[in-house]
Amino acid sequence: MFTRRFRRTVTLLSASALSFGIATSGVLISNADASPSTPGVSAKTITIGAAVPLSGIAVSYANVSASANAVFKYIDKKGGINGRTIKYLRLDDCYGLAAYGLGCTAGASTTTLSVNQVLVAQDHVFATVGSLGTAAEESVLSYLKANKVPQLFVASGSIGWDQPAKYPNLFGYQPSYVMEGKIFARYIKTNDAALSVGYIGQNDDFGADGYIGLTDGGVKIATADNLSYNAADAITGSTSDITADVSQLQTDKVQVVVLDSVPGFTNGILETAHALGYAPKWIISSVGADPTSVSTTIPLEDGATTLDYFPASNSNANPWIPWLRKVLEADPADFPGFSASSVISGNELYGAGYAVAFAETLKAEGRTVTRAGFVKTLESTTLSTPAITPLRYTGGNHQGLLGGAIAVILANGTSAPQYAVPTKTIFTTTNAANSPLSVVAKPVVQQIPKWLK
Amino acid sequence: MPRLRSLRSQETLQARFVCVLVLTIVVLAVTFFLPPVADSQLAGGAAITIVILGLSWLIGWSGQISLGNSGFMAVGAYAAGIWAHHHASTPLIFTFVLAMVMGALSGLVIAIPSTRLRGPYLAGMTLAFSAAITPLAQNFTSVTGGEGGLFFNQLTTPTWFAHLFSGQNATINANAQWTADLAVVVAGLMFLVMANLFHSRTGRAMRLVRDNDVAAELMGINLPLTRSLAFVIAAAFAGLGGALFTIINATVTPSTFPLTLSITLLTLMVLGGIGTLSGAVIGGIIYSFSADLVSHINSLTGVNPASNLGANMQGIIFGSLLILTMLFAPRGIAGVWGPLRRLTKSRRRLATTENVK
Repeated sequence: MFTRRFRRTVTLLSASALSFGIATSGVLISNADASPSTPGVSAKTITIGAAVPLSGIAVSYANVSASANAVFKYIDKKGGINGRTIKYLRLDDCYGLAAYGLGCTAGASTTTLSVNQVLVAQDHVFATVGSLGTAAEESVLSYLKANKVPQLFVASGSIGWDQPAKYPNLFGYQPSYVMEGKIFARYIKTNDAALSVGYIGQNDDFGADGYIGLTDGGVKIATADNLSYNAADAITGSTSDITADVSQLQTDKVQVVVLDSVPGFTNGILETAHALGYAPKWIISSVGADPTSVSTTIPLEDGATTLDYFPASNSNANPWIPWLRKVLEADPADFPGFSASSVISGNELYGAGYAVAFAETLKAEGRTVTRAGFVKTLESTTLSTPAITPLRYTGGNHQGLLGGAIAVILANGTSAPQYAVPTKTIFTTTNAANSPLSVVAKPVVQQIPKWLK
Repeated sequence: MPRLRSLRSQETLQARFVCVLVLTIVVLAVTFFLPPVADSQLAGGAAITIVILGLSWLIGWSGQISLGNSGFMAVGAYAAGIWAHHHASTPLIFTFVLAMVMGALSGLVIAIPSTRLRGPYLAGMTLAFSAAITPLAQNFTSVTGGEGGLFFNQLTTPTWFAHLFSGQNATINANAQWTADLAVVVAGLMFLVMANLFHSRTGRAMRLVRDNDVAAELMGINLPLTRSLAFVIAAAFAGLGGALFTIINATVTPSTFPLTLSITLLTLMVLGGIGTLSGAVIGGIIYSFSADLVSHINSLTGVNPASNLGANMQGIIFGSLLILTMLFAPRGIAGVWGPLRRLTKSRRRLATTENVK
């Protein structure tokens, strides 16, 4: 009995000793790598990353980051910025929905967080740039903050990106859905003041923010006509909400309908209305209105109104359009078969927009790059980007583009049946309920910096 | 190693404690070697291990099929999350207990009708439960944060632990490993609890109920109570796993707990071995590194990950693994060792008898 207990104790002790030995050597190993410099920045490259949908339900947004990648490659070919090339790591987080399957290439245990952990802890990126999705990016706010990684140009219009006091390294990119709602409200009050207005929004921050903007802007919507659809229906493929919503508005004879919906649901709503013979004036959020994403077969959106912050992508009047065409043509890896006659969509303009903004800030920052320095430069630099509205951040405003222009969707050609054509009036505003709507007389045509041409 | 074997076959509380302790220490030591990303994956795997332990108990030992465990996880995760949302800081132990209690309560709700349902009907009801949880979380926005969920600060790494690390990525490495170590310790503790439960009076009663409920009733076992208890315990384990998810991710969203997670859990449990303790650990490890495995196989075979084939690689690999397991090792990977050992043993015995001759 004594020996048995003794041997057992010895086994336990030696196991612990062994484990402790291993543990200590592990400490020594991690002691070895020590060179205090900015993560992601080496003498010749700067590494940045993004968690983006490259497969699954939101795959239609894949071209956003692909376009940004094309811009970075273009810059790299010209010698990079301040002697450094930009390496852009785009990892698939499947819109944070890999657990559902949905044709996601990423494993079921992949989340937006796990993708960010790879970017931060394995690839040591300088910042994430252009990561996409409201819920997905909210889920990594605390992780990126804890590890002091700037979260730049988040591709979503939530007002949540504008919290400089709480998240000093977090920056949005597009105008918020609140700002968009306020601009729509102004348009309705000017043009359709006598008409009744209805609303269908996504049942998350997207719809909630958009509705706030409309009411802040003074549009009155009857309670019965303030409707929503369940975003999760995209997962189950159910569209019962949409049919009920559209029928309700038709019964109430609503004349103007504002949609805060993603492209798939915009398409569903327009098709339902078409089938029911219901034809109100449509006003559609910028993220749900891009004609090349909504419908390429039936021109459902003819005459619809939307907000645009980029120039019409089928016209060469704005210098950025031919420039982007050249950039995309030069990157057959991301845009196979892209030719002079190919269609540029709002997605590509969007990606190019934040890529240019990143590159310009990096240029202004100079040879010595730190995270704190970059953030400060971004807050104080006027950027010249493909957008038709100014992109200007301050210490107190991290939202992004300051506004946009009302755009009309028109039938155009055969390769893509419709285009959004922005009108000549640009509106700018902020998220605050009482902040005014300013009118900039003309769209800003921002020049392409020489070094970028 | 005769001593070690006797230690195992003895199956006393003390012996089990020593085994689990050594196992946990070994895994903790391994975390020092793993890169931070693998540490984070391991943390998720540890949480899943806890859930599978409960599932294995429910399905393997009490014989009741459940597709509702992702729902129990969501209950635990939201309980921890909603509490943390209203309180600046919460002791971890409180979070864990709260999640287990809430999970157990939700288990009780399912358990009451479960005493009258069997087989596919029970599976259907639990399926309905896990399908209902996500829309609930999506719609009661003021409480649950809706689609975007609730988010919190990352778990704070104690200073003494952070001091073990230095260099450029010290904080990142320390944070990742602390979270992983915490999850591993909790998983080890729950493993011990389940190991004892398996071999307890309740565990034996549970098996009897599974194999022959008439005999069990004749023995004086309270059938409804025993069946309900199985659900409550499994749900408490799932709730704890869910709370760990909340802590690891520093966020809780409905999209973390889809219906498909229940199926994934079931698959992992079958792969590891139904009703076995080590099967749960194997399932957890598979979960941790499945994404890596899939991308590795994609790169080995040269399949374009964006193609239809690439996008379904996960399903193809685990589907065929599941079929192979059911065909050749119905007791899962953990069950492979038993027959193997018996094979070697009988050979040895054969050898000795021959020698005697």
